[in-house]
Amino acid sequence: MSVIAPNFKFSEFVKSILDNAFWILLIFVLIGLPAVQVILFYIEMPVINGELLTPFLALTWLADPSRTLPILKAFMTTDLFKIVAFPGFGFAALIAAGTIFVERKMLAKLQLRVGPFYCGKFEGILQLMGDGLKLISKEIIIPAKADKPIFWAAPVIFVATAAAFVALIPVAPGWVVADIDVGLLAVFAIIGFFPIITILSAWSSNSKFPFIGGIRALHQMVSFEIPMILSLLGVVILTGTLNLSEIVESQTNFPWIIFLPIGAIIFFITILAELERIPFDLPEAESEIVAGWLTEFSGMIYGLVQLATYLKLYAFAALFVVLFLGGWTGPMIWPPFPEEIINEGIVMGPITAKIPGLPIFSQEMLNGVLWFVIKTVGVIFFILLPRGVFPRIRIDMLLSLGWYKLIGLAFVYIFIALGLLYAGVLGPGGIL
Amino acid sequence: MADAVFLALSVITIGSAIAALEMRSLIYGSIALMGTLGGIAGFFLLLDSPFVAMFQLVVYVGSIAVLILFTVMLVKRELIFKKVEDKRRKFAGIGLMLVFIIALGSVIMDSGIKSITTDEPAVDFRNIGADFLTYYWPALILMALILAGSVTGALVLARREDVNNEQRTD
Repeated sequence: MSVIAPNFKFSEFVKSILDNAFWILLIFVLIGLPAVQVILFYIEMPVINGELLTPFLALTWLADPSRTLPILKAFMTTDLFKIVAFPGFGFAALIAAGTIFVERKMLAKLQLRVGPFYCGKFEGILQLMGDGLKLISKEIIIPAKADKPIFWAAPVIFVATAAAFVALIPVAPGWVVADIDVGLLAVFAIIGFFPIITILSAWSSNSKFPFIGGIRALHQMVSFEIPMILSLLGVVILTGTLNLSEIVESQTNFPWIIFLPIGAIIFFITILAELERIPFDLPEAESEIVAGWLTEFSGMIYGLVQLATYLKLYAFAALFVVLFLGGWTGPMIWPPFPEEIINEGIVMGPITAKIPGLPIFSQEMLNGVLWFVIKTVGVIFFILLPRGVFPRIRIDMLLSLGWYKLIGLAFVYIFIALGLLYAGVLGPGGIL
Repeated sequence: MADAVFLALSVITIGSAIAALEMRSLIYGSIALMGTLGGIAGFFLLLDSPFVAMFQLVVYVGSIAVLILFTVMLVKRELIFKKVEDKRRKFAGIGLMLVFIIALGSVIMDSGIKSITTDEPAVDFRNIGADFLTYYWPALILMALILAGSVTGALVLARREDVNNEQRTD
């Protein structure tokens, strides 16, 4: 006996579903189909397989599932798909969601707890969805005397900035949202926005703990930006380009981490500081200043900030992979698409289904994405790991680490890179 | 398309510059200043020099604006600003601005900017770097020395012998 709906009758349930289906069908036929035709009439249609995609042809193909693949492939070359789905936001958000779950579960295992357990049948696998629903349904509380416009705008701009960062990351050959010549400089420009957003949101909430956290975040991010930029200069010196795709292509024989391990170590430490992760999580030190600069956020504003934080984590890990671990390069392990399906179609007894447009993705692209994801997940794992191991350090130790040790080390590393370049070992015209 | 973008950027840049001067709230003023600096970066993008645009963003929005914001948040604004404004000052300011605009405009119009062909490819930033290290190296060295001197001077000025930090272990 259900407690939630005591008057439940199965026949009425079926009737309501049929009613809904009837009305949806009626509205679609009377309004939807003409609207689709009118819209298709005014849009400039692409040429697919040598045929102009007229509205009539498009509807015919939509009705025939075996012929929709060319339309799908044409859609996948558009900028919209790249921004929303694959190398852009959707892909990154998927990896970010996975990261959140793995972080909670892994930390629990490290500390001999169970972690998320009840939500979903297996090991709390639906916990993230439950958290998302909870955050959406919660009320957004704005503190009294808060600066409302900045308080509302800061999380949205934070997500937008993180998404812009994600857009610069090349995932597979040719699969990047913004392939610009000065990609690495654009990364530096975007990183420069994070401390501004942090301090503005901290100030606007008109509360003491967020402001202390925001000031700490500003100190930390600004002082660790310098060793970060210096630690990436060596790669730029040796490759002679700022384009991220070209930097990846320069690593087909060996990744730069083999010759520039010091730079990789400096960059990894600065990643931890820029992401405010333990041992550098002073801006949101929960045992000292409630939740740092996130204290006054509630509801979906907090959800947006968390989403942007994990997008940023993915983007930094991916940047590490692109610069030091060779991006998508790796041995070909993805099996080739079977030739007979392309040539003869799928034979099932007497029926032969010939599907045009296969394969959807090339073998190189799938292999590249596989290697990229494997490497990125590995780097994310190493970013998460210190949280279960290290305590938080003091702010003066943090600043002296950033300003004295890392910057000094970064200069040593730049001289090593210059030495390798001028000795003729690496770089343009080098022997390797 | 380019004209529309140019107009929009001009409106954003000039509008936020006026807002940066006129806003009573210092925080909003510095945000408007960021808008101005970002708008100038947009102009550089429009002029096919993304390298300069990115450096404009990194240096001005990323560091200078943060510095201004940080300073503004740490002061009490009632203490440093007194509203001194009368009609004569206002008109003098507007007149001075007009004189500057006319002078700068006539200089720019005389400089041969009208005879530039616009369909040439963008200048490679490697050439900019090569020029800096060959033809313009005295200027570069001079700038580096000035910056190093000012940083050293700031460190000397900020150094205090009388403060004893007990938490510091080194």
